[in-house]
Amino acid sequence: MQIFVDANGSRRVVARLVSLTVASGLIVFAAVVGGTLLEMW
Amino acid sequence: MRRAPRLHWISILLGLLVLMSVVSFHAYTAIKPEPVQHAREHRDLPDRTLALAFHGGPDPKWTPRLLTALRESGVKATFFVTGTQVTRNPSVTRRIADEGHQIALDGFRVEGDLGNPLNLAFAQAALADVLGTHTRLVGAPVEVDSGDRDYQDIGTLVRMSLQHGGGVVRLHDDGSIGADIARELAKAPGYRFVTVTGDRPVEATATERFTGAVTAWSQRNGGFVLTLLGTAIAIAALLGLLRTLMQLGLAHTDRRLRREGEQEPQPWFALPVSVVIPAYNEAVNIAATVKSIAANNHCADVEVIVVDDGSTDGTADRAEELGLPGVTVIRQANQGKPAALNTGIRQAKHDVLVLLDGDTIFEPGTIGELVQPFADSRVGAVSGNAKVGNRKGLLGRWQHLEYCAGSNLDRQILHALRCIPTVPGAVGAFRKAALTDVGGVSDDTLAEDTDLTMAVTRAGWRVAYRQQAKAWTEAPTTVHGLFRQRYRWSYGTFQAMWKHRGALLENGPMGRFGLIYLLAFHLLLPMLAPVMDLYVLYGFLVADAPLALIVWAVFLLLQTASAGYALRLDGESLKPLWAYPLQQIVYRQLMYAVVIQSLFTAWHGTQLKWMSVRRTGLLTDAPGGTVHVT
Repeated sequence: MQIFVDANGSRRVVARLVSLTVASGLIVFAAVVGGTLLEMW
Repeated sequence: MRRAPRLHWISILLGLLVLMSVVSFHAYTAIKPEPVQHAREHRDLPDRTLALAFHGGPDPKWTPRLLTALRESGVKATFFVTGTQVTRNPSVTRRIADEGHQIALDGFRVEGDLGNPLNLAFAQAALADVLGTHTRLVGAPVEVDSGDRDYQDIGTLVRMSLQHGGGVVRLHDDGSIGADIARELAKAPGYRFVTVTGDRPVEATATERFTGAVTAWSQRNGGFVLTLLGTAIAIAALLGLLRTLMQLGLAHTDRRLRREGEQEPQPWFALPVSVVIPAYNEAVNIAATVKSIAANNHCADVEVIVVDDGSTDGTADRAEELGLPGVTVIRQANQGKPAALNTGIRQAKHDVLVLLDGDTIFEPGTIGELVQPFADSRVGAVSGNAKVGNRKGLLGRWQHLEYCAGSNLDRQILHALRCIPTVPGAVGAFRKAALTDVGGVSDDTLAEDTDLTMAVTRAGWRVAYRQQAKAWTEAPTTVHGLFRQRYRWSYGTFQAMWKHRGALLENGPMGRFGLIYLLAFHLLLPMLAPVMDLYVLYGFLVADAPLALIVWAVFLLLQTASAGYALRLDGESLKPLWAYPLQQIVYRQLMYAVVIQSLFTAWHGTQLKWMSVRRTGLLTDAPGGTVHVT
């Protein structure tokens, strides 16, 4: 087994979930702030 | 190979964008431009009715004094505030609203700048953050000038304020005189005091309040974020300086050693050598590689073992067809490079083994040079000098420069520190005893050469660098190919570093210098590089563009000079140096993307398989290849 490799893939699932949460969180954040400023504009 | 993780790139790019917006917004709010004159509406008030309109605030010192004066006089006024001042003085702003005065907007950074609609949005956001409201009263109407910017005498100011017998009176709350004149005006007989309009503030929506919180945070903390970025850059600059200093130290040592070598030349050392070439689908290059080995001028026996690791393109056939004496071809089912190397090592009959890839061309003297450091019985491995054979095109030139200014210079510095972490797969030699000590080549990592070298060092053997042992290797010719190769190297190096992390606690050079060097220059520096790019971009777009250009140019000049020096140390022409500054635009970003991708792959625990580089056979054009390979 190579170094770092996760045998059952659970770390991969967790990592993907974290990435997904961060990415979608940032997208929502940018959309809310950008959208509101545009609306006020 | 399973699909590499990608989602994190969206997060990183968005994160950088957000960070960039924060510092840009902060810089934007820190500048106070000249006030803008805007067209004012006419507002009719009944006779002997005064609407006191205060501008320039809220001010942390003078506005509270004015508010006290107004409260004592029982007068309600209108405060035309600017957005940045509201964020700077939230409690004063709240007090204005709490005491029943009307809040209106004058501008964002300065009075009258609401002609830019984005400024109006920012100013409303600032109000939404502090008061949870937004206002419909934007920009003051036509006003009676109280003269408080030009005169100090209260009598004059009162007279000027009342010159039309009523109306909206223009006053300022960013100075001491505001409270005094308000007190005097309140005493004026027969006057009624109103706010400019009777509008009630409108409740801000949740998104407006959230946006206000974000812009307010950016205005207040953008400087801190900028300091963090600056610290990261300072660390990167320090690392760069450290490397240059080590380079200078190396030059000194190098000169001294050369002088000593000239005075007392070492006797030429010739040991019989077994050359092991693991090859997987190297049909295009294998003949050139084997021929270049066979053309060696080594003064002792050279045995060549080609291990074909289950190639499907007839690599073994190409090697056998050559019919060269002393060349053995072994075929095995595909098991990976470490297994192929181990097969070759087991078959080898000599005590010194030269390991090279199936895409590498040796010069006639390379084997002889590689053997020399073994005269010292403590030396267990020797790294040769891998050079890029196909240097045509920008990508080839960049890689050539990187091999000289990056890998080879690193190797020279680390040689001086006695902790070379990688004897490259392209050109290296090992003592069989050292390989036996560490149990052969492991398949724990994708960088089996780094793993093996670290293991040999930890087992107590010395690893030497022989600059004169040159080998020409084929570099990837496409950006995609380069990314894949470097991804494997970088990920493999991290695997090897993690595997050998115990060395940090050992009393050997690998832990003392090797791992720390790799951490600093192969992990930390590439991680900080994007921040540097971001900072330069910020400097160009938002801050002082000429200064950013100067800093960037100095940094580039230093790096180019360092690369030029590395080329000189390696005995190379300085001509390709012109391509070095261009590296800053694509190549450098590619290299740090590789490091970031590798870190994420490690975190994900994804199983990566060997990624072979598409071979073109361009090595016949190599400076060292044309002579011997026909």
